[in-house]
This record gives sequence, structure tokens and C-alpha cells, in this order.
Amino acid sequence: MLDKIFNLIVELEEDEAIGLAKKYIEEGGNPQKLLEACGNAMGEIGQRFEKGEYFLSELILAGDIFKSIMEFTLPKLKQGEVTKVGKMVLGTVHEDVHNIGKDIFKVFAEASGFEVIDIGIDTPPEKFVEAVKEHKPDIVGMSCLITAGVSSMKKTVDALREAGLRDKVKIIIGGGRVDEGVKEFAGADAWADDAAKGVRLCKELLGLEG
Amino acid sequence: MKNPQELANKRYERIMKAINLEVPDKVPVVGFGGDVVAAYAGINQYEFCYDYEKAAVAIEKFLRDFPFDWSLAMIPGLDGRPFCVAFSDFEDITVNTTFITGPMHDALGDKYYRYPGREISVDSSPQFIGGTFMEESEYDKLIENPVKFIAETVLPRACTNLETPEKAKGALVRFGVEIDRFFNAVMRIGGISAELGYPSIPIGGAYAPLDIISDYLRGVENLLRDIRKYPDKVKKATEALVEPIVNYALAHKKFGMNLLLIPLHLNEYLSPKLYKEFYWPTLKEVILRIVDAGMKALVFFEGRHDAHLETILELPKGWGIAYFEKTDIIKANNLLKGHTCVMGGIPISLIVGGTPASIDEYIRNLLEQVKPGGGFILAPGVATAPRETPLENIRALIEAVEKYG
Repeated sequence: MLDKIFNLIVELEEDEAIGLAKKYIEEGGNPQKLLEACGNAMGEIGQRFEKGEYFLSELILAGDIFKSIMEFTLPKLKQGEVTKVGKMVLGTVHEDVHNIGKDIFKVFAEASGFEVIDIGIDTPPEKFVEAVKEHKPDIVGMSCLITAGVSSMKKTVDALREAGLRDKVKIIIGGGRVDEGVKEFAGADAWADDAAKGVRLCKELLGLEG
Repeated sequence: MKNPQELANKRYERIMKAINLEVPDKVPVVGFGGDVVAAYAGINQYEFCYDYEKAAVAIEKFLRDFPFDWSLAMIPGLDGRPFCVAFSDFEDITVNTTFITGPMHDALGDKYYRYPGREISVDSSPQFIGGTFMEESEYDKLIENPVKFIAETVLPRACTNLETPEKAKGALVRFGVEIDRFFNAVMRIGGISAELGYPSIPIGGAYAPLDIISDYLRGVENLLRDIRKYPDKVKKATEALVEPIVNYALAHKKFGMNLLLIPLHLNEYLSPKLYKEFYWPTLKEVILRIVDAGMKALVFFEGRHDAHLETILELPKGWGIAYFEKTDIIKANNLLKGHTCVMGGIPISLIVGGTPASIDEYIRNLLEQVKPGGGFILAPGVATAPRETPLENIRALIEAVEKYG
């Protein structure tokens, strides 16, 4: 049944995938295993995106399906049962109020086993610093859509450096306006302008297989 | 220095030759607008958006010190697509709703935009946020009469000051006053530009029908779901929007505007299959109608358009300008050479994060590849530069184009 759920998610058969996942749980299936199957399906969708077979429209739909299945699966999990591959603080940087890219990335990062602490949009550098102090993440993810965000990213990295936190985290930046030049300028460790590549790079940053 | 009129003529000829797929004396280059213009004059984003006097002074200073062939430095405004449709029966009004400025945003009380000193800090650039102002059950109403539906149902939901006919009376008068004020400011900046030797190339607007539905009526994510759930209704809705968009587009002719900007949004989101089925047919129709009327389109292909490049060849040769953001510009130029004028090529990160030396090298390399055969306009991928953009990099860009263009 899990194979079938995997395939239905990958093929974006929304109603059927959710229906079968619900049935699996109701019939006493293992929620942990379902979580893994969903994560793998999202990984496959990410790969198809990177190969150019899927586009953003498919990523958004896949995110919808994943969120729906998680809604009834997560409450079935016992605390401590889920092992996370890493912890991430994620936000759209200061002066940028867009959330669509951040939200798509978040779903894919969670599907890959990251614990994501979402600190919202228009997030000033100080708030990133506070969140890093409080949550001690492995990764800081910054998103921006407008060009003004490019300088906010640099300021945020600088603020983390000044607070003595830069070496304690890996930093990935993402969003429509981001490229290798922005990564160099901001002083981040990695960049991606799509969710699939971003999640793969996050795993690579932690020394895990992308 | 040549006198301004001569300089403007020279630049105009350069740009027009490129648009008409000929070889100009030099590759024309488009300059920046956005945050850097305000920052260079020492004003904040709130002043840039709301104080037209200060904005005009800032633009003049920037244009004087950073001479490009074609300037996109302007008082900030955000795309007013639903307003253009709602007013499409009024030729004199619809063209003036192409951009919604800060003061117009205040008059309407709309929920589409975020302006500095209003919803966001005085230093932030104005931003489009969109929203959902139409139910999925309302497609039939949109299809039946898109102008009426958007004007009477959508806009009262999307604009707090248009919520009731009573409130709308005052709001629309204020909106009209602001349109007039903005028009006068634009004319003034046009005069300043002419004095500085910039050519006058007034740009109007048109839109891709599906973008109106996704950005202003249903929201991007809902629209993507609608495409799967109600493909026929979505398609019919895009078809219904063609006529009001064309009415809006053709209205520009009367006011001497022959180049119409079509900024695309959803193109990058869609697979070639969805693009060809839901997005391209009606966008193509809008462009063809513009060309038939003797005008040209300037289509901004946002993000990566690589997967859909071939469709551009379906348009008649010389239809207009394909302006690319992140598409492989060399690939696009090779494919479209002799058919479509290609614009773009300068990543904003290069100007923000590069050095004069790296900019020089990049431009030399790029121009070696795109210059032969003409039909190319050099431009930043996104024409808004952040306020910390190093000024020496902007100068380096101008010098590099001077050397290798």
C-alpha cells in the first residue's frame, strides 16, 4: 500500500493519494512508515523538478498533498518517534513581505526530515540572531523575492557574524533574485532559487547525501 | 557633449534599430531604477513613492550622473491589472491605471500592495502581495462579463475604500485626482529626461489573461489548483479576459504610446504542457492584436523562461522585444536572432556584488556573443537595483558598454 501511496503522490493524484493514506492510517498502518513514504515521494518530485520534468505548479500541488496527509498522520506519531535530520531557522529577510517561496521550501524541507522553525516574513537581522541563539539550528535559511532583499541577506549574515554565531550554523539563501553572485556578496554557504535544489543542498551542508 | 536633442536622437535611433532587428552603431543599454535612485539622492522609499517633487529631483540627479541609452528610472508604481480591466471601457482612464502609485494605493485602500510608510517601513521598497478576492464558484460570473465582475464584485472586496457604493464615490474622486497628479509628475520627468538627452519612448501596458486571474482574483496557489479541478472554466475565463485587455492595450495608441509592456508572472511556474494550454494561447492573441494595430509589445519573461522559448517563434517576425530575467540569454538570443529583439543579460547580483573588473570582463564576454547581427538590447535582468548598489559598479557597467558595445 505504501508503494501505491508513493506513486500516487509522485503522480500528483491528490484525492486518491490522500484517500489511500487515510485508509492506511485508519487500518492501523505505521505512521512513521507513511511519513517516510511521503518524504520519499517528495524527494522524487524534487528530483523531477531539478531534471526539468516538473515545474513550480507541480511543487505547489505536491506540497498541498503532503500537508493534507501530515494533518492526520502527525497526531498518530508518538513523541520522540521521529528522528530529524537537522534543525533549521527559516525566514524571509527584512523589508521583503513575500512568503510563497519560503513556504514551498518549508514543506519540502519538512518532508525531507528537517525540523523547521519559521520566523516569518520581513524578518530583521536581530530576529534571526535571537532565533539562532534560542533554537541552536544547524542551518539558517533566508528567502527573498525582491532585490532589496539581497542587501538584507548580507546584513543578516553580518549580524550573525557579529554575534559570534556565523561559524555555528550553515547558511543557505534562496528565492527568485538569488544566484551565485548574491551568495558571494551575502557570505552564505549555499544558494538555490528553487525548493528542490535548496533541500538537497541543505542535506549536503550537513554532510548527508543530497 | 552633444546637445541633448542630438544625443536623444542618437540613442533613439540605436534603440529602434535594435528593436527592428537591425545593427545599431552600438548595443543600446538600459539603466536601473528602483531603490538606488532614491538612496543616491538621500531620500527614503516613502519620500520616493509619495513625494513626487523629491522623487523627480532624485531621478534627475540619477539620470544626470549615470547616463544610459534608455532610462527606466521612474516614480515607483505597482501593476494595476485589475483596474485596467475594470476601467477598460474608458479609454482615457484605463491607460492611467497601469501603475498604482502609493497615493493611489491610499485612495483605493487596496489589499494588493504594500507601500513604505504604510504597511511596511519607510525604507522598504513597495511590494506586490496579491490575494484571493474571487471564489472558485464564481468562474461563470467572470466568464460571462469580466469587466462587470471585476469592477462590481472583485474590487469592492479587494479595496477597503470601494467596499460600498457610498465609500466608492469619494475614493474614486480621490483616485482620479491622484491619477492626474501622477500624470503631471510623469510629464515633468519626461521633460527632465529630454533635457538630459534621453529619448522619449513612452511605454504603456497589456497583460497575460491568466496572470490577472492568478495574481488579482484567485491567488497563485488557488489558481494552480483550479487548473486541475476546473480546466475548462479557467480556459474560458482567460478567453473572456482577452477583449477587455485588448481594449485597454489599444487605448494607448490614441495617446501616442506604441510600445506596451507585458510583465509575465506565472510563466515560470507552469510546465510546457500547462503553459501551452492555459497561458500562451490568450497571451499570444493579445500580442497579435497589439501587432495588428501597428504597435509593439515588450514582454518581460520573468524568472526562467527556457522551457517555453520556442513558443516565441510563433509570433510574427519583429513583433517586439523579449526581455528576459534569468533565462539563458545566449541560448535565447541564438534561437530568436533575426526574429525577435532580445533584451536583458545583466544579472543584478553582478552589479550589487561584483567588482568593476568582473563587470568589465562579463560585459566584454557577453557582448562578443550577442552583438553580431544586432537585435539585442543590454539590460539588467530586473531593473530595480537595491539601495546599497556600489556606484562604481554602475559606472563600470556604463564604461564597459562604451568600450565593447
